[in-house]
Amino acid sequence: MSQAMAILIDVTRCTGCEACVEACKEENDLGKDLPRRWKQRIDDLSATRYTTITRRPDNHFVRQLCRHCLEPACVSACIVGALTKTEEGPVIYDPDKCIGCRYCMMACPYGIPRYDWEQPTPFVKKCTLCYPRLQEGLLPACVEACPYDATFFGPRIEMLAEAHRLIEAEPERYLPRVYGEYEIGGTSVLYISDIPLDFLSFRPDLGNEPLPQLTWAALSKVPPIVAGVGCIMTGVWWVVNRRMQLAEEKHSRDTKKEQDGSDS
Amino acid sequence: MTREKVLKSVLWFFTGILATVTVARFLKGLGATTALNDATPWGLWIAFDVMSGVALAAGGFMVAATVYIFGRKEYTPFARPAILTAFLGYAAVSVGLLYDLGIPLHVWHPIIYQQYHSVLFEVGICVMLYLTVLFLEFCPVILEHSCFRHPLFRKVHELLKSFAIPLVVAGIVLSTLHQSSLGSLFLITPYRVYPLWYSPIIWILFLISAAGLGLTVVITESLFSSWFFRHKSNLRLLSHLARAASVILFFYLALRLADLAARGQLGWVLTGSWQALVFVLELSLVALAVILFQSSRIRTSSVGLSIGALLSIAGVIGYRFNVSIVTFSRPENMSYFPSWIEIVVTLGIMAGALLVFIFFVEHLAVFPSESEVDEPAFAHPSASLAVNDPLTMRLLLPESIAAVRRYSLAALIGAALAVSLLSENVRSGAFDLKEPVSPPLQVTGSSEPSTGVSSITRLLAVFRERQRYESDSVRLFLIDGNRNGRLVVFDHDAHAVRLGGQAACATCHHENLPFRENTSCRECHRDMYSQTDIFRHPDHVQKLNGNQGCVRCHTEPGMIKTRDTSLSCGTCHTRRPEASRIIQSNEEGLKGLAPGYMDAMHNLCTRCHRMMVEESPADYERAFAECAHCHEEQGSSYVHDLGPYSAEGKL
Repeated sequence: MSQAMAILIDVTRCTGCEACVEACKEENDLGKDLPRRWKQRIDDLSATRYTTITRRPDNHFVRQLCRHCLEPACVSACIVGALTKTEEGPVIYDPDKCIGCRYCMMACPYGIPRYDWEQPTPFVKKCTLCYPRLQEGLLPACVEACPYDATFFGPRIEMLAEAHRLIEAEPERYLPRVYGEYEIGGTSVLYISDIPLDFLSFRPDLGNEPLPQLTWAALSKVPPIVAGVGCIMTGVWWVVNRRMQLAEEKHSRDTKKEQDGSDS
Repeated sequence: MTREKVLKSVLWFFTGILATVTVARFLKGLGATTALNDATPWGLWIAFDVMSGVALAAGGFMVAATVYIFGRKEYTPFARPAILTAFLGYAAVSVGLLYDLGIPLHVWHPIIYQQYHSVLFEVGICVMLYLTVLFLEFCPVILEHSCFRHPLFRKVHELLKSFAIPLVVAGIVLSTLHQSSLGSLFLITPYRVYPLWYSPIIWILFLISAAGLGLTVVITESLFSSWFFRHKSNLRLLSHLARAASVILFFYLALRLADLAARGQLGWVLTGSWQALVFVLELSLVALAVILFQSSRIRTSSVGLSIGALLSIAGVIGYRFNVSIVTFSRPENMSYFPSWIEIVVTLGIMAGALLVFIFFVEHLAVFPSESEVDEPAFAHPSASLAVNDPLTMRLLLPESIAAVRRYSLAALIGAALAVSLLSENVRSGAFDLKEPVSPPLQVTGSSEPSTGVSSITRLLAVFRERQRYESDSVRLFLIDGNRNGRLVVFDHDAHAVRLGGQAACATCHHENLPFRENTSCRECHRDMYSQTDIFRHPDHVQKLNGNQGCVRCHTEPGMIKTRDTSLSCGTCHTRRPEASRIIQSNEEGLKGLAPGYMDAMHNLCTRCHRMMVEESPADYERAFAECAHCHEEQGSSYVHDLGPYSAEGKL
């Protein structure tokens, strides 16, 4: 399965039953949610909750989980490559490499990665799109558990086509937009919805430009800066040094001349 | 002498505090000791110890460039102290980073797992290399000390001296890279950095502001040294530095405003938001310093120089803070203010660095011209024996021993004070937040509720509309244990009737307090989420005749007497309603511990509802066993509770 896979979430079908949350907890062995200083609410995403249901007014339920961006900011930010984007779509985490700098948590535009603050040796915690299950040919646990067909899983191209087909079939039911199709270069978790999902990111107007490109604009200038600054500094030193040497020689010559002059 | 004693005692005091909280930090973890949270993964330690620390240490490469590359030999007196300050600054940055990293033992991983697309990788490698360069640059000063007289050291000294220029060039290149890259770190967060601070050229702004800051730090450090070591400071040279700093800082201000204006973002200043106010404040600090440095009278007085330098330092450090913490967007109710441990770690590391600085100055030729004039502070080997002064009855010790005692005492007091200040939370590593359960509100069917809670009124209206409850006698429980507005309307009487009247009480009321007919859920399940201990050991001791009764429960005399090794409650209390179809008390695992209120209610209600659906699917729809069946009609009643990233939480 080297094809890029994706999850499609139909917000209009979600009843908020949290079967996905339970399945996720069981699959990843996450334990109980307890109130902690570092999370907003007990049912917020946390080190013990990789997916959660956000309740919106008038019985709308929006499931949250890692978007598994096509060009993930967290992967590009990671200092040691502990986060990697796999061919199949999931963004996975290697705790053996992680140094715990938490730059991934800063970089994510959706605020997804969570930290296991409780532990003396803490790791980053987030959804892995059930990567181990995918390798066994199984569905992600949350998708398998959903009793209302609110979550589908399949190749991203097919999921996108399916999303557009659903919207076209019932235009009055959905907003005419697939969330995750283009934002920040596209994500592997797609939403179709009857309410705006702007609240899921830190700012409502996420552009379509992948975030790693913003960094690369500056980072690509490193080699020229090294060469340029190095050469200029060495050049300046050489010129200044040479002039000082010349001045010194001239000075000594002059004094010598003066001495000779006075002698004669 | 007094200013030295006082300052050193204070520094040792903070180092003592640092020693204690270091143990707490590394034993108990970040959660117990910091105020960091999932919305604020970077706090004071990154904003000050790393981001500002690196910028403050920029004086090293600025002065090195001036003296060694541009050949301005008149600034040579600043070179050694500036390089020492930079070296200690970077060492402090590295130490601070170890506190902040989740897994400090992996700090070397960037060396083997190179990630060329990560700005942080570039910063990390550059800082490591530059720390090495600074060490090599400063090494000759150490090797000048009389204890390195061996010819081998002399050879190393000569070698390092001959590499001086390449080292300085390398230092400048590395500084240019990572000073700017600290800004590039925030290029990837355009959605979280406030528009007044986000800029595609933030890395250039960071570099320029660091260059200006470096010079003002050299000024500050020089003024401090001349005050502390009683040197005469060269105000003429300092005023030249101040003028250079003001030119650089003016360029930084102009470029910052021009960039905002060119991208059409300057309008954010006029929004009147608190961020705009912070922006104006931050820039005016730097602007004020630039203006002050224009006057040659201010520039040549040590007071004027100090004020200007401190203003610009505050302004540029403010820039680092505002980008990384202050205006970094996060949900409204997840604010961040550093814990006292974070603050004293920062202070402690600075104090430690300053002590090392003073030590080096006292023992090495850091200020080459003056050091010969001034005697080292500790070199008073006067009387080698303690003398008892008959007049004051005080034990007069030689200064070297007295100093050791004084500073040890200061450090010890600091360490002890910190121990006493460690909260229960830090010492035991307990993270449970208590959330006591409030009793359910009761409303009767028709009379208008007097509580005035609008959602209750609305709920009743809904219920009456449905005409399910017409009689006046209907009692409704509005269950909302933590008063978060997410009510569950529970019709107690209807449930009682449905389950078979009086005989069915025990279906739910599985346990009662002594001499009570029925006990409501919250009397044992007292906390919303955490377990509650409902076992009263003293009562049992009294009932079982004191010490003779121990073995009744703790049947194994050889075992340590704990809850785990004792009999379960059901062994004696045989008349307790044991695990019913619905209440499945797990006695073996939970002796005398009542689960949290939410778990108890969910286990009771959902289990029963699910059984109904499973047993008679014809009568009950699947939705009967799902959240929305009980948590219904509450949509707008918890609008205040939306999140985690509701629109209001941003910008």
